[in-house]
Amino acid sequence: MTYTGEWLLPGELGHAAVLFSFFTALLGVISFGAQTRGIEGGRSLSWLGLGRWAFGLHTLAVVSIGVVLFVVIYQHRYEYHYAWSHASRALPTHYIISAFWEGQEGSFLLWMFWNVVLGLSIIRTAGRWEAPVMVFVSLAQLMLSSMLLGLYVGDIKIGSSPFVLLRESMQAPIFQQADYLKFITDGNGLNPLLQNPWMVIHPPVLFLGFASTLVPFAYAMAGLATRQYSEWVRPALPWTLFATAMLGTGIVMGAAWAYESLNFGGYWAWDPVENASLIPWLCLVGGLHLMHTWEKRKQSLPSAIILIILSYILVLYATFLTRSGILGDSSVHAFTDLGMSGQLLVFLFAFVIAAAVLLVLSWKHLPRQHQEEPLWSREFWLFMGSLVMALSAFQVLFSTSTPVWNRLFGTNMAPPADVVAYYNRWQLPIAVLILLLGTLAHLLPYKGSRSVPVKKWLLFLMIPTLLLTAAVAIPLRYTNWTYILLLSSSILALLGHLGLLWQQRKKWLRSGGAVAHMGFALMMMGVLISSSRREVVSVNRSGYAYGGQFDEKQNRENVLLWKGEALDMPPYRVTYLGDSVAEPNHYYRVQYEELNPKGEVIDRFVLLPNAQINPKMGLIATPDTRHYAFSDLYTHVTQVMDKESTAGSKEWGPPEPLMLSGSGDTVMMRDGLLIFEGVTTELPVDLTAQLQDADVAVAAQVTWKTLKESYRLRPVYAIRKGAEFRFDDVQAEAGINLSFRRIHPDKKQIELAASVAAPEPRDYIIMKALRFPMINLLWLGAVLTTLGLSMAVVVRHREKNGPRSISISKHDNPG
Amino acid sequence: MSKVHLFLLLLIVVAAGVILSTVDESSSYENFATAEANPGKEFHVVGTLHNPNEMEYDPLKDPNLFRFFLKDQAGAVRQVVYHDSKPQDFERSEQVVIIGKMSGSAFEASKILTKCPSKYNEDSVEVRSTTRTSYKLMVRPGQNPISDRTL
Repeated sequence: MTYTGEWLLPGELGHAAVLFSFFTALLGVISFGAQTRGIEGGRSLSWLGLGRWAFGLHTLAVVSIGVVLFVVIYQHRYEYHYAWSHASRALPTHYIISAFWEGQEGSFLLWMFWNVVLGLSIIRTAGRWEAPVMVFVSLAQLMLSSMLLGLYVGDIKIGSSPFVLLRESMQAPIFQQADYLKFITDGNGLNPLLQNPWMVIHPPVLFLGFASTLVPFAYAMAGLATRQYSEWVRPALPWTLFATAMLGTGIVMGAAWAYESLNFGGYWAWDPVENASLIPWLCLVGGLHLMHTWEKRKQSLPSAIILIILSYILVLYATFLTRSGILGDSSVHAFTDLGMSGQLLVFLFAFVIAAAVLLVLSWKHLPRQHQEEPLWSREFWLFMGSLVMALSAFQVLFSTSTPVWNRLFGTNMAPPADVVAYYNRWQLPIAVLILLLGTLAHLLPYKGSRSVPVKKWLLFLMIPTLLLTAAVAIPLRYTNWTYILLLSSSILALLGHLGLLWQQRKKWLRSGGAVAHMGFALMMMGVLISSSRREVVSVNRSGYAYGGQFDEKQNRENVLLWKGEALDMPPYRVTYLGDSVAEPNHYYRVQYEELNPKGEVIDRFVLLPNAQINPKMGLIATPDTRHYAFSDLYTHVTQVMDKESTAGSKEWGPPEPLMLSGSGDTVMMRDGLLIFEGVTTELPVDLTAQLQDADVAVAAQVTWKTLKESYRLRPVYAIRKGAEFRFDDVQAEAGINLSFRRIHPDKKQIELAASVAAPEPRDYIIMKALRFPMINLLWLGAVLTTLGLSMAVVVRHREKNGPRSISISKHDNPG
Repeated sequence: MSKVHLFLLLLIVVAAGVILSTVDESSSYENFATAEANPGKEFHVVGTLHNPNEMEYDPLKDPNLFRFFLKDQAGAVRQVVYHDSKPQDFERSEQVVIIGKMSGSAFEASKILTKCPSKYNEDSVEVRSTTRTSYKLMVRPGQNPISDRTL
């Protein structure tokens, strides 16, 4: 059958570009490899030149795949499964960009794109390191492009192509029609959780972070392969700093996304997907510090190599965890399984085996210092600190891998019941150690000193730290020793590095380390205060009315707000004003009035928490946050009234009997006035024919006056062959149902029964409001950390090639 | 022995502690029977919503009380009490994981995870024809296409 209306050209171009990118990557591996091994290429063939050509063409191929895929999505070509499953017509342009990397294929492509950018910059700047480093970059590209192949070898599927047609990816009767495309009017759309500005910027930064860990790894591997066991460190240092900054920024942006748009009430939940990106970062930071130690003191090289190699292997492991479907139930936001776990394992093990072989072969050649470093020296404590980072990574890794252990050993372990408390129990003391070791290392000179300036430290550091800790901990009423320790060690780190910054003020650009460490200390303080003193503003006090069912431990975080009815949530008075709809979002206007102790309003603002009432995923609530300098007020709805199902159906109240005797009798009802004007035999037109042969047929003449309008009602009462008939006058719009019950000739009265419409159900929301104190410290700290790392990138990049001209002096160049 | 070796030894001990604590503190996927045999200990119970009509959540009365019946994988049915708002889209979930402990005859859940069949990535095509009749075609891998017709 020939299908009509399909645009097949981009798919063919895309498939071709994927194949081309795969083979150019392969050619790159071969050429750069041959160049590295020093194989003679003959007179007219230079392996290096060939490698560069291959990588240039590879770049072209990767960019083409990206452009074609974007065009397909942007043009809403729903004959392509990827466009259909990730985009829809209602999606604004910036979310079309998010749709591009929502799926596995698109995010692999994003990763490949960054690798290409990094590769080009290595070709430009790496000099004699170019060929050996590019071998590993090309190898990574080979693995990644194979993920997009979408080929079948026998029964084994290799890769998943983003250019698969909708009709190829599923079977349905509709595809038996040649013009099936006419009926596919819209795509599946982007997951509403990802329709958030953070999702436009977070994935590219995170993937740049993942991609850039490849460079230090490739340098270390190139060093081992070419027997330049230590020379790789200096050119790789700026790259390691860059990768640390990018991966760290990507992780923090993910936290900001969770905080701003998910409703779990926080920025970090120790979810496996979050952990998977944190583990390589921890190793990378450890490796970074040991690389510095090597640069300064020719110490700790083997550990540096191991940590740098591990950081990339763990990026691959994270890829396996999040994309193979093994996390299953334990994570809320892993990718769906595309049946590529086998291929992901091949990717992982190819690099593990290559790294292990190179490491084993060169282990005994690695330069080592046989003389032990003095106790009071920077290098010793840097080494200790890096090992503690590795320990931290190990703890997160081991616990996050529970689903893997279950699969391997057939066990049945579930995550701890309280995941956050479990991780915090380990990671809080580790954070204290890292802060203390980091500060101590920076206060000590390299090579060590015989006399430690204990007096100076006590005076300028210990005493201010203790005073400041007390000044912060007492108002926060901290009694937990771990909290107090974390607080004091953050303050110590802050003060210590502030001192270093002061000492180096004339060489400020070289203080990147001190700035980054201050940033880290601020982040830890922000995390500690905002999570330990997170406060529920929306405490449900009405629950006490239910007596025995409630006790102190139980959760009372959700409150019911009737529309227009103010509720006190000290120090606020909160009112739900109403909702408005801007599809697909429903916004709920929640007015906060801040009251002073006298009860006067000192501040008034409206928050707009929103919810998408999504037919596929139910209600998805997005918080709205009021940002203050020292705290955030965070609000989201948890339940809302289902207006769709209550609209349209009128419910009538119980009928109320009315005895009326004469014209002008007036009854006051809830919603209006009922005025009786007498009885007539003149029936409403539609009933005349029906009641022709009736013995008696009378209509009551009634006027129903509401605030807005007045209506004429004619309920009818008839007797035919001894049986009573009643024809009620139901006026839904007027909100009344009038029935002529009977005539009481003895009393000269008639009896009507009126039911008025039940009141419209009152609108309400159930919401939760939380206060996060000092959360801005976390964001400020993250910015400082990135700034410090960037300063260090600049410094290290400048001195990458030349010998270091600055002498090693006390307090010089921390970190 | 040098101080570095001493420190490494210490690290190995702590790492062993990590492994032990992971194994020790990890909860496990169990049925109600195990939870009843160990009252006060927290478990993950996997099951399905039993008799949705008996689900109790009246936010107007108490927005922090949700009760329902869960049938575990062995077929045992127990009432589950959850002191928070009803998770969104709970009725539609095809599988429910509750984390908590038995208290009396009911299971007190501290956390509920739901797995919905209709997450975004499921392949179902919605086709709209000119006569305003819409067909919904549901296709899942390995199944015959099911089609139902709704007006």
